[in-house]
Formats: sequence, C-alpha cells, structure tokens
Amino acid sequence: MTLVPITYKGGIYQHDIIIDLIEDLGGYIVQKHVIAAEVVLQCFVPREDIDLIRQIAKPLFGEVIDSPLVGTEIAIVSMSLEIHHLPHPSCDIAEYVRRIGAKSNMVSLARGPGKRIAGLNDEERDVINEHDIAVYLLGNFETCIEYKWPTLRRGIDVPIVLCGGPDKETLKRIIDPPVDGYVGNVGRFMHRTKESDELEKLDEIIAEITRVLEKKRESIAKDPLSVSPARLMDLIKEQVPAIHEVTSPTPLTVQMAGLRVKLPYDTFAVDLRKIEIEDGITLGDICEVVPSRMRDYILVKILPFSETNTVI
Amino acid sequence: MLAIEYFEVECPEPLGAAYYKQITNVVLLDHNLLRVIHKLHVFIDPKVPIFVAVGKLKKISTRVRVGDFANVNPLEGKITLVISDETYLAPMLKIFWQRFGKDHVEQPDRFTVILYDVKADPQEIEEIVVGDPSESLYKDLIYAFRLIAPEGFRLRSEIFSNEKFSFVASENPLPENIDKIIKDKFALMGEVP
Repeated sequence: MTLVPITYKGGIYQHDIIIDLIEDLGGYIVQKHVIAAEVVLQCFVPREDIDLIRQIAKPLFGEVIDSPLVGTEIAIVSMSLEIHHLPHPSCDIAEYVRRIGAKSNMVSLARGPGKRIAGLNDEERDVINEHDIAVYLLGNFETCIEYKWPTLRRGIDVPIVLCGGPDKETLKRIIDPPVDGYVGNVGRFMHRTKESDELEKLDEIIAEITRVLEKKRESIAKDPLSVSPARLMDLIKEQVPAIHEVTSPTPLTVQMAGLRVKLPYDTFAVDLRKIEIEDGITLGDICEVVPSRMRDYILVKILPFSETNTVI
Repeated sequence: MLAIEYFEVECPEPLGAAYYKQITNVVLLDHNLLRVIHKLHVFIDPKVPIFVAVGKLKKISTRVRVGDFANVNPLEGKITLVISDETYLAPMLKIFWQRFGKDHVEQPDRFTVILYDVKADPQEIEEIVVGDPSESLYKDLIYAFRLIAPEGFRLRSEIFSNEKFSFVASENPLPENIDKIIKDKFALMGEVP
C-alpha cells in the first residue's frame, strides 16, 4: 500500500465522515485546519482509494487535490530579518509553499547579507540540516552570489534549491559544485508578488522544490523507512497525552524521514523511546531520538530498513 | 509629466541594474519621496563593492499652515476649526495653547477645535505655520537610501545640502577617491556637486 499526500478542502458539515473514511482506509491526517465554515485536511491516503474519497466527498462538495509537499518541512533561508528581505520576497515564498501543504520555517541568518562579511554559524547550519530541503533566497548580483555561496553552503547536507536574481543559466554556471535546484530571476525585490508573471515565478519555485523532493522520495524508497512518519505521529498522539497541551500550530511536524516533536527533550525523550509500535518493537529500536537545535524540541529520525531489518 | 527628470541606475551587471532600478522606484514611491527628487543617479559595483547615489532635490515650499487642513469659521465670539487631516493636529494644539492659553482652546471631538474669546482674526489663524515636513526630509531620504542599498553595506557617508545630496555605502572602508567618483556621477547628470 503506497500512501500519497493529498489535501481535502470542503465544508465543515459532515467532514467527520471524511476523517473516519481516511482513517478506516489506513490513511493519516497530518494537519487539520478549520477556517470559518471550511475544513482543510492535509493527509496521506492509499493511492488506490483516492477515487473512493472523491466519490464520497462529492455530495459534500469536498475537493481532493494532489499536494506533493504535504508531510515535508522546508527551510526558507533568508539572508537576514531586515526590511530589505522581509516581507518580500521571503514571506511571499514561505506563504506560497505553505498553501500547498508544506510546513515551511523561515531561517534567517545572523550574518547573511553582504559579500565579504557573509557567514553561516553552526546553529544555523544545524537548524537547516534538520529540514527536508533548504530554499536559499539570494540577492541580485551574480558577483556576490558567486563570492558568498561557498560560505553559505558549508556543512549543509540536505538538498538545496537556490533562488537568485541572475537567470537560471548564469546561476548554474557560477555555482560549483552544483546544487539540486535553481530558480533564476527571483532576487531581492521590495513589492508584493501579485502580478501574473510574479505568481508564475512562485509556481516555478514550487515546481523546482517538488522535483527535488520527488528525487529524495525516490532515494528513500530504495531503502524504505522502518515505519512511516505519519503512523508514528498517530502513535505519539495516542500514547503521549502531553502533546495535546502544546499550543504550537503543529505540535508534531511530519518530515519525509522523521518527525519533530515539540516537547522538551529532557522530560519526554525517555517516554518517547519506550512507545511500543507493534509486537514489542519500541520507537527507540527503529528511530534515533535526538535533541533538536530548534528550541528544546525533540527530533525523531526514522532509521531505514537496511539498519534495523524491520518494516512495520 | 515625469516626476523625475533624470533617473539612471548604473551597474556592470545589466540585470542587477534593472532590479535595482525597480527597487529604487518602489522604495521612493512608498516613502512619498519621488516628488522631492529632481535628478537621481545610482551607481552600484558589486565587485568593489560600493553603492553610490547622487541627486538633486526639487525646491518645494513645504510649510504647512492651519488653513491647509482646517476650515476656520468665526461665529458669535468663538472660532470653530473643522479639521480634515489629523496629521498636524497635535502640533497645532500645542501652538494654540501657547498663544491663547488652554482656557481658550477646546476640542470637543477628533475633528473639531473651538477657540473662545481670542483676539486673532480668522485669516491670521489660517496663516499660522504648524509644521515643516522638509525638516525630516533628509532623515527620510537617508532612511530610503539605506533600504535601497544592498544590505550589509554598513559603512556610509552621506552629504545632504539644500539642493544636492550624495549617499555612499560599502561593506569595506570607502575608497580614497570617493570624492572623484561622486563628482563623476554628478557630471553624468550635468551637475556639479
């Protein structure tokens, strides 16, 4: 059974039918938003059952949309928190990515701007590495990008999508060794993205992120995870009641090969490791539970089949 | 009529120049500064790196008088002022208190001020100067150019006089021949610094 990420949008009336259906089919609900009289569910469902969900949602005027970014956590790396880059374009892109299901975090560098003075410290590097993909938003000058890029990418081992002012071919030419994705003509600008050509650019960024993540997904599929992150999320929800007290919008953030649990590491790591998944196999057996560099959160990294010899 | 007579962005990278022209335009427009700039030349060289903006300002009379934003109506020993724009309300009240005393000034609501038993006639009150936006003009211009200049260019030199201004920024110590660069850029606009 392959689970695929989808978004369900529909009215609040009888939406529990859809929730029950998804759970009965063996799917998982990653996030649920209730906005006025509308419900948005971001979920994983079995590929062969999508038509069934569409059919049942039809009388409720519900809509099922493919959203390849559900269940991913994306770092939008902005060069600083100054007005030069915020709210445009950093927030525009972070928000656009969020709309199609990804959980995006904005990572602003303490010393990102400039040419010679640009730098990346260890905390920033580790925080970026905790994500599935890093989207770097750089400036308008190819000279500066070429000069500062080796510093900014040092130690980053997640796939990188690079956005910058010069066109795509120029970016490809000046970046060595190459990164996973490039989007040209998106540098620093100081107005809202609302014209159609600007929205097309945002779509191009999404397409590039999706392509890079698809490649990552394929490589994960070659050595499958011992347990699906969405299943782990459900288990933690059932067995760690304290997670319901967390006021963060996503107390459990699903990643492609792991989970961010927004509970203090010192208090909850032991309990988390003891969670039994199936037949006496505990979470600690097939996952690495490590402290996150983001606040005092916990990061659960699911080990692949090759290391644990179990798939559940 | 074009708001700015001369507006150029010069840069060795043509695409970068186009982006910076757009950024300059957007920032100046947002801060309502296009109306005060007559000529503007921006030069950016990311190789050095350096950012230079030189320009000429328009002469505008910017003094704001009571008559510009309020209707002054004399009626039976009192003068009623109906305010249409609150921006200068606070400095106006301060001036009235100083001149006529707090007992003679009343503000029943946001948009009305009533003066009792004052010896001034309505024309005189209309002529009272309450503010001069050009006082903060240089501050606003410097702020705007800090936004336009690439971030991280924290070493700056600004010269703002009555008519002309120059703004230089870099992340490295400014080059020694900076005066010559400024002079050259002024010459491109047909001006002298």
